[in-house]
Amino acid sequence: MSTEVPAGAPAATRALGLGPIGLSGWDGFDPTRTRGRGWSDLWRSYRTAVRLGWEMEANWTDPLLFFIHSIAQPVSSALILIVMLEIVGGAASRELRGYVVTGSALWSIVISGVGGLAWSVLDDRETYRMLRYLYVSPSDFLVVLLGRGTARIAIGAMGASITLAVGIALLGIPFDPGRVNWPLLAVSMVLGLAAIVAGGVLMAAVCLHARQEAWSYPEAVAGALFLVTGAVFPLAVLPSAVQLVGLAMPLTWWLAAVRLALFPDGPSSLAGTGTAWAALAGPVPPDAGQTLFALLVTGALGMLAAAIVFRASERRAKDRGLLDQTTGS
Amino acid sequence: MTGAPVRSAWVGRPTAGPREAAAWSTRRRMVTELRAVRGRAYPRLNGLFREKSWLLFEVLLPFLTTSAFVFVYRALQAPPEYVGFVVLGGAMTAFWLDVIWMMAHQLYLEKHQGNLELYFAAPMDVMSVLFGMAVGGLVISSLRAIVVLAVGTAVYGVTFSVTSWPLLVAVFVLTLASIYGLGMILASLFLMWGREAWHLTQLLTEPIYFVSGLNFPVGRLGLLGALAVATIPLAVGLDAMRQLAFSGAPSFGTPPPEIEALILVGMTVVYLAVARFSLGVLERLARREGRLTLRWQ
Amino acid sequence: MSSVQRSVPAPQRERQPLPLAIAARGIRRVYRAKPAPVVALDGVDLEVAPGEFFGLLGPNGAGKTTLIKILTTLLSPTEGEARVFGFDVERETKQIRRIMNMVAGGEQSGYGILTVREQLWMFGQFYGLPGRDGWRRVDELIDALGLAGQRNQRVSTLSTGQRQAMNFARGLLNDPWILFLDEPTLGLDVSAARAVREIVVAWKRAVPGRTVLLTTHYMAEADELCERIAIVDRGRILALGTPAELRQRVQRESIFRIELDRLDGGPAVLARLPGVLRAVSATDEARDGTGEARQSVVVNLVLHEDAALGGVVVALGGLGAQILALRKSEPTLEDVFVELVGRGFEESADERPALEVGLPPAMPAGAHEAGEPGPDRVAR
Repeated sequence: MSTEVPAGAPAATRALGLGPIGLSGWDGFDPTRTRGRGWSDLWRSYRTAVRLGWEMEANWTDPLLFFIHSIAQPVSSALILIVMLEIVGGAASRELRGYVVTGSALWSIVISGVGGLAWSVLDDRETYRMLRYLYVSPSDFLVVLLGRGTARIAIGAMGASITLAVGIALLGIPFDPGRVNWPLLAVSMVLGLAAIVAGGVLMAAVCLHARQEAWSYPEAVAGALFLVTGAVFPLAVLPSAVQLVGLAMPLTWWLAAVRLALFPDGPSSLAGTGTAWAALAGPVPPDAGQTLFALLVTGALGMLAAAIVFRASERRAKDRGLLDQTTGS
Repeated sequence: MTGAPVRSAWVGRPTAGPREAAAWSTRRRMVTELRAVRGRAYPRLNGLFREKSWLLFEVLLPFLTTSAFVFVYRALQAPPEYVGFVVLGGAMTAFWLDVIWMMAHQLYLEKHQGNLELYFAAPMDVMSVLFGMAVGGLVISSLRAIVVLAVGTAVYGVTFSVTSWPLLVAVFVLTLASIYGLGMILASLFLMWGREAWHLTQLLTEPIYFVSGLNFPVGRLGLLGALAVATIPLAVGLDAMRQLAFSGAPSFGTPPPEIEALILVGMTVVYLAVARFSLGVLERLARREGRLTLRWQ
Repeated sequence: MSSVQRSVPAPQRERQPLPLAIAARGIRRVYRAKPAPVVALDGVDLEVAPGEFFGLLGPNGAGKTTLIKILTTLLSPTEGEARVFGFDVERETKQIRRIMNMVAGGEQSGYGILTVREQLWMFGQFYGLPGRDGWRRVDELIDALGLAGQRNQRVSTLSTGQRQAMNFARGLLNDPWILFLDEPTLGLDVSAARAVREIVVAWKRAVPGRTVLLTTHYMAEADELCERIAIVDRGRILALGTPAELRQRVQRESIFRIELDRLDGGPAVLARLPGVLRAVSATDEARDGTGEARQSVVVNLVLHEDAALGGVVVALGGLGAQILALRKSEPTLEDVFVELVGRGFEESADERPALEVGLPPAMPAGAHEAGEPGPDRVAR
C-alpha cells in the first residue's frame, strides 16, 4: 500500500496557514539570513564554545576529584623542584625557592593553554567526530577553538593560583601583598595569556595534520619551552645562543613580568654577568616598562604568526580532506 | 560438512561443524595470542614510518624537557652525579608515558573508534592486544630513552660507573615488565571509568614523577619514598638502576639493588597476575553495565 | 535360527544433531540510565536453526542491536539465558567468539593509517590465521568483495560503500559458523546496499550450513533475504514466521488489480463469481507505456484464495473482455507491524501497549503456525 500526496496539497497547506511547501511562516528564501551579525555572532560562538568546553572539562567526575586533579599536576611539579633544591641545599637553593615555585605554578597555565586548543581539535576529530560539523557551521572555527580552550586555561589558572598559595603558606616563600605591583600584574597576565593562546593556536594547527597519538605533542612543546623561557632557572645558566632564543619568546617576558610584579626584590630570570641580556642592554635587569614592551612586541609577533600558520594549516587540512577523517594506530 | 575441503575465498579452514570449530587446542590458543600481539603491534609500528612527526615531538622535544632539569641542578651548582640522575630519570620517563598513554588510556580510545567491541568479539585475549600496543610503543620509547641517554651523556658530560651490567640489564627488564603489568591493570580500570580515564591518566604523570624520584633519589623523600619503593615499579626500578649505574653515589637509605631487583620480581608477578584477573573481572563488569559499547561514558 | 538368535547388526553410532544456532530464553536487558532505567529487551524467546537466515525486523529502539550484542558476548542479559550453538553467552564466550563474527552498519572502526589489506590482515591475526595464509585469505576476500582497486588504499580514504565491503571482508575472515549482521546496509546507497545483500547471499550459497542473523528496519531487505523473521518492538517479539506467513496475518485474502479493455455489466458481474469476495472499481487512471491515460476498466478483486483467479479469467473470456494488466497486491511487512502495534515504523511510540499476538513459549524451529492464536500473553 502506498500513500500519495493529494493533488490539491498546495492549496490545502495554504488553507491551513502553511507556506507553499508546508512550512509555517516561511514564504521563500530570505537572503538576509546569509549575512552574519559581525561581533555579535563571534561573541555568541565564543560564549557557547566556552560553555561547552567547561561542561566537558568539569563534568567527568565529582567536585572533589576534579579539584584534586586540577591542582595535583602543578603542585607536584612544584614539589619536584622544591625537593631538588632541598637536596642540593645552600644559598642558591634558598634564593631560587620563590623563583621555581612561581615558574612552576605559572607553567600549568602554559600547558593548559598550549594544550587546550590542540586537545580540542583531537577530541572533536577523533573521539566525538564533531569537527566537521563545527567547521561547516557559520561560527568561525578558530573562535570556537578559542572558546573550548578557555575552559582549560581557566582550570590551569586555578591550579596555578592554588600552587602559589601553597608555596606562600607552606613552603616559606616570602610574599608581601603590599609590595605587589597590581597594574603590572594585570597587564602582564592579559598580554601573557594572549601569547599562550597564540601558542595553543600553533599547536592546534599542527594537530590538524597529526594523527591521534598527538595527544602528547602539546606537553612536549611545553616541555621544550620550559628549557628556554627561564621558567625554573635563570637564563644565565644556558649557553648564549640558547638565551637569545629565550629572549625572543613572549613567555620569557611574561614570566619575568609576573615575577617582577609579585616579588619585586626576587632574582631576575634575564639579567646577570655574561648573559645575552647584559650583552644587549647592559648589566641592569629590565624594568617593568621594558619587560612589558618586550612582552607586547614578541606576543604580537607570536599572535600574527599563529594566525597565519593556523589559516594556512586549515586550508591545507581542508584541501587534503583531513577535517573529518579519523586516524589512529 | 562432509567431502573434500572446499577451496575458495569464502572458506578458511574447513571443519566438521561449529562445535569442532570452537574446540581449540592449547597450542592453537597460544599461537593465536602470539599472532594477536603481532597483529596489534603492526599498526603502531607501521605508523612510525608513515607519519614521522613523532621524531620531533616524542623524541627530541622531550629531551629538551629533561635538559631543563639538568640546568636546574647546574643553576644550583649541584654535584655532577645529580645530572646523571636526571638523565637516567628522563630516559625512564619515556616508558612510563608509553604505559599510561599508549596502553592504559588506549582501550578508552579504542572504544570511541569502535574497535574495542571488535576486539572483545574476537577469540583472543585482550591482554594480547595490550601487549601488542606495548611492543609498538616500546620502539618509540626505546628510541627516546637512547637519545636522552646518549645525547645527555655526550652533551652534559655524564659518566656512568656500572658495578654489574647483568644486574643492571635485569633490573631494567624487570622494571619494564612490572610497569607494563601495572599499565594493564590501569587499562582494565579505564574500561569502566570512561571519560575519567583521560583525566586520571594526566593525574598519573607529575605526581608519579614526584614520588618515583624521577629527578632525584627517591630515598630523599623519607617515608613517602619508602612507600613508593614498595609499590611503584618506576620508583624502585629507577633507584636500583641509579645505584648500579652510579656506584659512587650515596644510597639515601633505600635497599641495595639486589633487594630492589627481588622487589621488582615480586611486583612483576603480582601485577601481571592482577592484570589478568582484573581484565577478566572488569570485562564481565563492563558487559553487565554495557560499557564495552557505550561511547562517551 | 530363532528371531531372537538372529544376529542383529550393531546399532550405528548416531550423529549428534547440531544444537540450535541461537536459543534464547526469557532474555531481559535493563540499562541503568537517568532519569529512569531503560528496558531494552523485555522477555525475548528466540530459536534459530543451524543454516537459517533469520531476520529481526523492527524500528529504531526496538532492541535489535541489544539482542545482537548479547548474542555476540558483548553485553550480559539482566535476566534469561542465551546459547549460540549450545555455548552459553555468559560462561563460554571464547568458544562463541571462535565461531562467530559480526558486521554492523555505519561502522567507522579501523585504523585510518593502515591500508585495506593491512587492516584485514591485522584482524586475521586476532583470529589466529597464520601469517602467510592470512595474507592469502585477505587477498582472496578482497578480490571476492570487489575491493581489488582499493587493496593498497588507506582505510581513512575509503568511501562508505567500500568501507562496508571491507567490514564484510573482516566479518568473513574467520569463516564464521554464524554471522551477525546489525543493519549492514545502513547509510549505503541503493547499489551499495544491493552489493552487500549479494555478498551475503553469495557467501551463504557457497558455504552451506552457515547461519545468519540479520537485524534491519528495511522491510524489503528482510523480505528478500530472510527465511524467517521476528518483528520486534520495545524489547518484545511481536510476531514470528516466514515473510509470507507474517503477511497472511493482515491479509488472508488475495487481492488483485485487474485492467480490462471493457467489462459489460461492471464489477458486479465479477462479484457473483465463486471465490470472489468483492469486486470494486479502482479510482485511479490507467496509463499506457507512454504515460498517456488509456480507455480501460480497472477493478480491484478480493478473492478468497489465489486459485479463484482462474475462474475469473475464464469468466472474463466469456464476457469478451481482454485483460490488459494483472497485478497482485500484497501487504508489506510494515503493514504487519502496523497491524500488530498500531503505528508505523516512522511514528514515535505512544503510550498504548503493543498488541501481542500469542506465541507459544518454546517454539521449535519451523514448528510454528503463523496466524494461529496462542495462549494469551500478559503484556509485561
